Amino acid sequence: MEWLRFCVVALFLTASLGMAVISVAGVFKFKFILNRMHAAAIIDSFALLLAMIGVAVAYGFNFATVKVVLIVLLVWVASPVSGHLIARLEVTTDKHLSEECEVRE
Amino acid sequence: MKPRSDYELSLWRRLVRFVDGETLADVERRAEENRESDAKNQQMADAEAEKRFEQEEKEDREDRKRRLELEHEKEAKSLLEKYKNWPKEHGVKIFGRLYAVMAVLLCAIVITTLLVTVSYLPEYGSPDNPNNNEVVEKYNKDGLYDTGATNNVASMILDYRAFDTLGESHVLFVAAVCVMILLRLELTKDGKPTDVKRAEEENDRLYEPKNDKILQLSAKILVPMIIMFGIYVILNGHLSPGGGFSGGAIIGAGLILYVNAFGFEKAKRIMNRKNYAIISVVPLLFYAIAKGYSFFTGANHLESGIPTGTPGAILSGGLILPLNICVGIVVACTMYHFYTLFRKGGM
Repeated sequence: MEWLRFCVVALFLTASLGMAVISVAGVFKFKFILNRMHAAAIIDSFALLLAMIGVAVAYGFNFATVKVVLIVLLVWVASPVSGHLIARLEVTTDKHLSEECEVRE
Repeated sequence: MKPRSDYELSLWRRLVRFVDGETLADVERRAEENRESDAKNQQMADAEAEKRFEQEEKEDREDRKRRLELEHEKEAKSLLEKYKNWPKEHGVKIFGRLYAVMAVLLCAIVITTLLVTVSYLPEYGSPDNPNNNEVVEKYNKDGLYDTGATNNVASMILDYRAFDTLGESHVLFVAAVCVMILLRLELTKDGKPTDVKRAEEENDRLYEPKNDKILQLSAKILVPMIIMFGIYVILNGHLSPGGGFSGGAIIGAGLILYVNAFGFEKAKRIMNRKNYAIISVVPLLFYAIAKGYSFFTGANHLESGIPTGTPGAILSGGLILPLNICVGIVVACTMYHFYTLFRKGGM
């Protein structure tokens, strides 16, 4: 039973790490801010979820699991909002936005 | 046209002279005069020629000079053509490579230095470590009994060494005052914002998200939770990890989020200049009165007149709880004030 749990935890944590690596690569690869934001959001949403599931499984269900769920919820509320604000600021300030993406007048 | 040299002696010339009544001497004198004027003419012509020659030469020289200059210019232009794109084509590449190499080198050097330093550190938890002295022992053994706080850190920073924390909170206040001196924009005499400030606010609206529905909704959900969590951290400072500084920072972050979502007009209802002055000075004064005389009494100075209570209860630990609240208020106000100062020069 113990090794099964270890395997599940390892799977989740490795997947989370892979997501984080993809995200970081995307942040450095893409040229435009909006693309980079998309890449960066992978860590906030998916990699965090996988890592937290791994941690929760590793330590069993107890009060700490609830805290972990709270952390995930908080980040899931805060990250899209901050992303929205950054995107809005970018759209407001960038004069050459049409080079980045389609702009509907 | 010049006559032949024996022209004067010719038959015809002798006849003419005879008819004109001239002698040979007259002729010779005239010839002499002629020769003199000729010589003069010659000289003048020579001078003129020389002059012309000089001028021509001068022009020539200037010409050559101009040609040389033109050539130089052309050369420079071709050089420019050749190397105009050098920085773009090669320089950036070279700089980029140099930058990468230097960055890696710097990182390697820093990492090695840190690792070497760490390897010289004493082993964690070893009994011979220099921090393992009688002070720590005393605090660990008697902390709970002396102060009634289950959080040893709180008992240390707010009771045994409260004057340190007194200085720290005053440092925060002094920092806020200094930033205020540098950044705060003045009001006019009747308390209205000056033109500069109004311009700042106008400018503020350009780039900062105001009345953003998404932000407002999330702030509506998050701000109360954040501030409540901050209050919890402050009030539980003597029972669990946390305390005035961390809780105050959390509350300050909540206030900043509120300002971002709803604008300064609404935030002014709680935090305007007058309130800020009262809220930040009163806790500091209380702290100074409560712990200031520890400077003069020396030693631990733990007697505050407030009973320590049962450890673990929320009302325990003597002065630690009120001091935590003071520090929390000061930190929260300072953070919020910094934000407003840097964003638009005052609340």
